[in-house]
Amino acid sequence: MSEKHNAQEESSEPISRRKVLAWLTSMGIMGSAVVSVFSNLVFIKPRATYGQPTRFSIGTPDDYPPGTRIALGDQKVAIIREGSKMAAISITCTHLGCIVGVSETGFACPCHGSRFDQDGNVTGGPAPKPLPWYELSMAPNGELEVDKGKEVTAGKWFTV
Amino acid sequence: MSEKKNNIFSTLSSMPAAIWSSVFRNNLPYTDLGRSKTSFNNFFLHIHPVKVHRHTLKPWFTMGLGLISLFLFLILVVTGVLLMFYYVPSTAQAYDRMLDLRGSVAFGVFLRNMHRWSAHGMVAAVFLHMCRVFFTGSYKKPREFNWVIGVILFLLTLFLSFTGYLLPWDQLAFWAITVGTAIAGYAPVVGEQMRFLLLGDTTVGQEALLRFYVLHVAVLPVVMVVLIAIHFWRIRKDGGLSRPEEADIVEPAAVGTVLATPAPAMAMATAAGGINVIEKKNYGIQGLVRGPFAKVGNVPDNSVFSYPNLLLAELFVFILTVLGVLLVSAFFNAPLEEAVNVLHPPNPAKAPWYFLGLQEMVSYSAFWGGVGIPAIEVLVLLLVPYFDRGQKGVGKWFAKERLLANTLFLTFVVVNIVLIIIGTFFRGQNWEFVSPF
Ligand code: HEM
Ligand code: FES
Repeated sequence: MSEKHNAQEESSEPISRRKVLAWLTSMGIMGSAVVSVFSNLVFIKPRATYGQPTRFSIGTPDDYPPGTRIALGDQKVAIIREGSKMAAISITCTHLGCIVGVSETGFACPCHGSRFDQDGNVTGGPAPKPLPWYELSMAPNGELEVDKGKEVTAGKWFTV
Repeated sequence: MSEKKNNIFSTLSSMPAAIWSSVFRNNLPYTDLGRSKTSFNNFFLHIHPVKVHRHTLKPWFTMGLGLISLFLFLILVVTGVLLMFYYVPSTAQAYDRMLDLRGSVAFGVFLRNMHRWSAHGMVAAVFLHMCRVFFTGSYKKPREFNWVIGVILFLLTLFLSFTGYLLPWDQLAFWAITVGTAIAGYAPVVGEQMRFLLLGDTTVGQEALLRFYVLHVAVLPVVMVVLIAIHFWRIRKDGGLSRPEEADIVEPAAVGTVLATPAPAMAMATAAGGINVIEKKNYGIQGLVRGPFAKVGNVPDNSVFSYPNLLLAELFVFILTVLGVLLVSAFFNAPLEEAVNVLHPPNPAKAPWYFLGLQEMVSYSAFWGGVGIPAIEVLVLLLVPYFDRGQKGVGKWFAKERLLANTLFLTFVVVNIVLIIIGTFFRGQNWEFVSPF
């Protein structure tokens, strides 16, 4: 590290051994930093989640007499029956995820005032999308099943 | 002493004094040298400069708002650690633990009140501190970056209080976390990923509570402490608080030996004639320190010793802050809503007051109100000192030269306050417009 040494250093060719080593070292340190930030992110991203299953049974059609509009809290769907037609409509507000209230005339969200008609179409407020309808089906044992993994087009009723 | 060397009694009787003087290296100071040494030798005092400008001590200039923010933060750390002794971050237990604080923990309610009201107070104090820094033009060169750190501190303060009010797992908590993380989900590209990382699950539940708990009691406070330390360090390195140029003018007769004074005083000194301004020799008792406060010896200028002047001012603000928090906590209980009911958000579901402006904006558009406009606001705030680079009007409230900048900022402040007022008083059931009158 003497003065003489430094002088030599400067006069030698542009790519000295020292420069290459310094470059490699700093690349190594920066690379490790990037890898460690990345692996930390991977670490905090859970691989398994404990959420509810997307398919669930809701009982037999007899549990829902014609005219029913009822909200199932745990599953966050409204079950609706008009005559022999049934539907499962999400009650999670498409705005920011509050649970909408179910009434005769439609759905209303208490959080920022979104309004939906009986079929879940937006009639007011900030909600950007209508409430999705989920697939309803009849299991072999005669119970109705909702699959929240499968959306169906609004107005596609299930006939019981 | 020397004759009594071996006397056990004299050893014992002088022991308290020996211990005392080993802990506190200085006696209470009565000389200027002593005053500098006191600031210098004490771990807690050495954060202060040995001397501080008179202008800095004027109460109306800072209104002590930065200090109030700091002291509220300290109160939050102490009361928060105490609350941790009883809190369990579990969706099954958290709410019951809150009730336990009421029923079976001595001073439980009082500590919770202190923690909650200090948090509200800190949001307000930090915001007002930001306003004072703006209206006095104190973010200008060389303080640009300290303003940037300040903006980050403000965001951290908001995020700390957000993660905090989720912990009781009452209705407010549950719906705030639902709405808050849904807003994050609207961010472009990374939104959904961010929401998933925050919740640790696809829905709001145990994982989310645990994550917010860790953020609230470990991650965010540590980041906050580091940034506050840098904030204070930079105040010193930026030459103390900002002040108008006139504040540095000293009577010419006294200027003779002033070294390394800021420009105007220096110019005057040279103009006075025959004075040797040795620019390089600006080291003092602090060692080699750049900036207006380093000087050799005790020269007449507009500064006074930090001990006791600054310390007394700080003590005064500290006592006022603690007193305020104690009084409010004695008379008002921190809110606790009903236990979580995942089917029924409270109606109307309102955030604490400082987020009601945001909630009002979000009720027009989730993306613009929750992501777009706030992001633009933060970006503009961060860039303020780089847009507005004029050097006029620094260190004065509402300086004439800064009319435009101050008007713009005042508009920003008023708009946000109006939004908060609308959200607080003019929104009722289903977030419908109601009149409070
Ligand atoms: C946790 C939050 C904060 C704490 C504890 C804090 C603390 C302080 C303290 C104690 C001072 C000394 C002067 C005074 O009391 O006014 C100060 C000055 C300053 N603060 Fe903060 N502050 C915080 C947030 C902010 C914010 C949000 C901003 C702006 C965006 C900011 C920008 C500044 C600047 C530029 C100065 C220097 C002012 C001058 O030179 O006159 N700080 N801060
Ligand atoms: S969450 Fe329903 S209106 Fe905002």
